[in-house]
Amino acid sequence: MLPVIALAIAVEGAALVCGANIRGLNSGLIRGFVFLGQMFPPDWSAFPELLGPAFDTIIIAILGTFFGTIISLGFGLAAASNVAPRWLRRLTRGMIRIERAIPEIVILLFLVAAFGLGPFGGVISLTIGCIGMLGKLFADAIEEIDPVSIEAIEALGASKFQVIYYGVLQPVIPAIISFALFRFELNIRLSVILGAVGAGGIGLELYRAFSLLDYNRGCSALIITLALVFITERLSEYLRSKVRLEGALR
Amino acid sequence: MKQPSLYTLPSVRYRRKVTVFSLIVLLTVATCIYLGFDPLMLFTEFHYVVDLAGNMLPPNFELFRSNGHVWWAILETISMAFLGTIYGGLIAFVLAFLAASNTMPAWAVRQVVRFSLSLMRVIPSLVIILVFVVAIGLGPFAGMLTLVWTTIGTFGQLFTQVIENIEPGPSEAMYAIGASRTQVIRYAILPEIFPSFIANLLYSFDINMRAALALGIFGGGGIGFELYMAMRVLRYKDALALVCFTIVLITIVEKLSDHLRKKVLGAGALK
Repeated sequence: MLPVIALAIAVEGAALVCGANIRGLNSGLIRGFVFLGQMFPPDWSAFPELLGPAFDTIIIAILGTFFGTIISLGFGLAAASNVAPRWLRRLTRGMIRIERAIPEIVILLFLVAAFGLGPFGGVISLTIGCIGMLGKLFADAIEEIDPVSIEAIEALGASKFQVIYYGVLQPVIPAIISFALFRFELNIRLSVILGAVGAGGIGLELYRAFSLLDYNRGCSALIITLALVFITERLSEYLRSKVRLEGALR
Repeated sequence: MKQPSLYTLPSVRYRRKVTVFSLIVLLTVATCIYLGFDPLMLFTEFHYVVDLAGNMLPPNFELFRSNGHVWWAILETISMAFLGTIYGGLIAFVLAFLAASNTMPAWAVRQVVRFSLSLMRVIPSLVIILVFVVAIGLGPFAGMLTLVWTTIGTFGQLFTQVIENIEPGPSEAMYAIGASRTQVIRYAILPEIFPSFIANLLYSFDINMRAALALGIFGGGGIGFELYMAMRVLRYKDALALVCFTIVLITIVEKLSDHLRKKVLGAGALK
């Protein structure tokens, strides 16, 4: 019984801090529905001019994922116990952990402060953002490689580089691709959000339309965003199932 | 020994590899040019980063002593994540029973719930926070409702899978001795999925903590908003202090969540 009471007190306290109450929710929901009603119909004439920003958002996500995967691979190798020396592994794992604790949006805020607004900051912050997740996943995947195969390649007289290329990288390629595709899905969403803070693209259009109270245009941007997220999710899922299949056959 | 006289065309596999590789390189270069993104700018324009670092260091930790408002903001962020997890998790829990094929016999209900869950997942949190800010007003309440929304979307689907993947044996045995559907859910399914429910809730709190920070920037209040304001008025020393604190906070929450999850699921269940 005690945990339940403690939980109830915690919930009440948190609600007090947040200013959450049922009356606010009720009146808010009514206002929300009125607001949603105002959004319709979408501004059809805005669609052609919104396609450009939508394309920018996709490109930012693709480039961020691409560069992020390459850099994370370096981090993954340096953080794997069967490749890197102990001190390097410790250091890299620590860096990965710290990166994971910083949201991409905070990285973007600093990049915007340094380099100004624009897609540059967006791509770089997505690239850095990949390290925290992909670096750890890659390192774990590399650590799970059967040591026998690495020893066999070493026994053939392969150089350190050859061992890493044939013994370490080749077996984890399916894992790398499928993790990168998964991250791409996340990056599309992040790219929309980062857009509103200064990376440009459809996120900025969305945010601007809402701030200028141009809700019909906001609705158009929303529809494009939904289509974008939905299509990339399906595509990534399909490609991942294909990679898994090929990886299993090999 | 190699035989230099033997001229063969590269193998099909090799050619395929080269094609894929050069296509990727070409595409990357083309998109970089289209976007006006120059990766080398990071190095040629590095002095901006140095300037910024000069402005940020040392972080102004005095902020936490002199300004009580910061602690309130931290409390707001934690409460937001906590309530979002609790309410979102509970609603997702109920919806999961309506969406799982072994607890909900009506096909139509299942499909409707599943469709709404996937619709909730597709809508980016940016849109949801914008709508809630209009409906509720700026502040942590709007952020909390956004977290409830996103938690329902992701964890509803997760719990559905958990319920559908349980061992069918106990439920079948209970049906065989004439138990009703509610009795089966109460005595066979609930005890089995409860640990996993708690574990996922803890994991969700971990995720929501990070999301709460980001939502603050768009009007969700809390430490994210403080950070955004500090950056906007160019008080970089304060901003860095907040980021340092955030890193510590998120790391603690992650460790705690991992530790508790291990306890709930038993040793070795979580890697």
